[in-house]
Amino acid sequence: MAAIELDGVTKRFEDVIAVSDLSLTVEEGEVFGFLGPNGAGKSTTINVLLDFVRPTAGTVTVLDHDAREESVAVRERTGVLPEGFDVYDRLTGRAHVEFAVDSKEVDADPDAVLERVGLGDAADRKAGGYSKGMRQRLALAMALVGDPDLLILDEPSSGLDPAGAKEMREIVLSEADRGTTVFFSSHILEQVEAVCDRVGILREGELVAVDSIDGLRAASDADATLRITVGAAVGDELLATLRELDGVSSVDHDGDDGLRVGCDSDAKTTVVTTLEDNGVPVDDFSTREASLEDLFLAYTEDSVSAAESFDDGASADEDATTEGTEVPR
Amino acid sequence: MSWQAVARKEFRDAIRSRWLHGSTLFFALFLGGAAALFFGVLIGPEGRQVSNLFGFFANLGVFSFSFPGLLALVLGFIALSTSYGSITGERETGSIKLLLSLPNSRLDAVVGKFLGRSAVVVAALLVGFLLAFVVLVATGTQLQLGSFVPQVALTALLGMAFVSIGLGISALAGSNREATLATMGLYLVFAVLWGSISEGIPKLINYAAGEVGAGGVSELTRVKLGVFLKYLNPLKAYETLAAELYYGAARARLVSATFGEQAALGPVLQDSVPVYFSGEFLLLVLLAWIGVPIVVGYWAFERADL
Repeated sequence: MAAIELDGVTKRFEDVIAVSDLSLTVEEGEVFGFLGPNGAGKSTTINVLLDFVRPTAGTVTVLDHDAREESVAVRERTGVLPEGFDVYDRLTGRAHVEFAVDSKEVDADPDAVLERVGLGDAADRKAGGYSKGMRQRLALAMALVGDPDLLILDEPSSGLDPAGAKEMREIVLSEADRGTTVFFSSHILEQVEAVCDRVGILREGELVAVDSIDGLRAASDADATLRITVGAAVGDELLATLRELDGVSSVDHDGDDGLRVGCDSDAKTTVVTTLEDNGVPVDDFSTREASLEDLFLAYTEDSVSAAESFDDGASADEDATTEGTEVPR
Repeated sequence: MSWQAVARKEFRDAIRSRWLHGSTLFFALFLGGAAALFFGVLIGPEGRQVSNLFGFFANLGVFSFSFPGLLALVLGFIALSTSYGSITGERETGSIKLLLSLPNSRLDAVVGKFLGRSAVVVAALLVGFLLAFVVLVATGTQLQLGSFVPQVALTALLGMAFVSIGLGISALAGSNREATLATMGLYLVFAVLWGSISEGIPKLINYAAGEVGAGGVSELTRVKLGVFLKYLNPLKAYETLAAELYYGAARARLVSATFGEQAALGPVLQDSVPVYFSGEFLLLVLLAWIGVPIVVGYWAFERADL
């Protein structure tokens, strides 16, 4: 059964189209990562799920309820960590969670929930004095009250330090183990890869890809990059020959004694053989598998501004695998 | 329905605000202090009765002053201040996203906010009245409870009306700044301009009628219409109802009337108070000021994107 079903959803704000004809299904029990540069429409999509904004066109069903007409029923079973929220400065952490308990009309122990997100010691302090990360944890605590069937987390790790982000990830995973459907948006790729069953990539309001991470990797033309250390100079003619090989997308000089070749894995050997056939000894080469960042950029590369705004998140991404490979003889 | 949860949250939040502490202190000093001044100092032990202060009306014919009128002005200001930012403020900080990501409908949010903030204003008001009551008892003042207790209830209703008006503005406004300006403007209308506008409209009608050659309305109708419009102001409706509690319906209609109005209306009121000037009607006006703004506010808020 589907936990979230978006069908042809479009949202227009005056002269801007934030989301355009978006159709997406998230199955029950799934951990779904919603990926995209800032301004791609992630938050708008989440706001539509929660009835914070109303779609210009299309239908939205969450947990078998119409997101517009039966929003309260949706939110009764959904825990939400919104983006760009703030806390009530004068209320303590515990009062916030009590508000969630009251609103959801459940019987839950506020202190236990606060303990779980690591705010046990700060429960009696006014939330106005909380740091950004503590506010984020507090909202997560409010979301977790009443063991929701669906968690919607908008940029959950923003404001958290690496340890906090790891705790957040662990909580997400333990909720997923419990059978909770998790839908979260992020521009921090590392986090998406660590927890998600599937991801959707959003660009300028349009869904450009939905697949598992492995599936995306296989489908994407963000090829491996081959770095070759050569023992002799490579002339322009040879470069041109290499560029014409099947499966090779780019060939460039990389320093005095190196070449950088973008190609799919099957073409690696051909490139090396061609070099050697033309009298250029290959001293060493290494491949760098397409990282999530490359994948992401491959899907969003048309948009330069998108790639730029993505930089802050990409810096956290260190999962590019570099492997030294012996030269085949 | 989870409006109770929202109301409780609003109350817990507001009760910690310095603004509320300030207004509670103000009501305590204003009501308790005025009672102490009147019954402890100004009026001799024999003549002391509640109406000396809480039913104090002075009318110079062109200018009138009353204690209930003054209390209404102050209360209106405090109640508006308590509520005009209640939705725009949450929208600007983003805390509304916490409120509405929980299973609270927008109706729950509006109703809960209205009740929570009303409770805060009424609580501050009651502290003041309680202190005044202590002074009344201590000074041996004749209590006139049949008038005083309903007046406390009426005052609470007036406070709720202005909480509702502020909340309605907050729901309609696009930003805190807009809400602030609209609240200030509206307060100016209620407190200062309403009377002139009410007198002006019938005169304008007569002038327009004269211009097109029609007869216009009679002098009596013109005055009646003017006074009727004045009574649509919640401050005026409250002041008149408060006067009625101490002096009866007919006199209450004249306690703050101008000379012209007194001359025209006096004979009419001698016979009977018309329905459109009746206490029931004035109470209905007050209740409408509680109901209509939150309904309009909810209508707008329900349709808005956050």
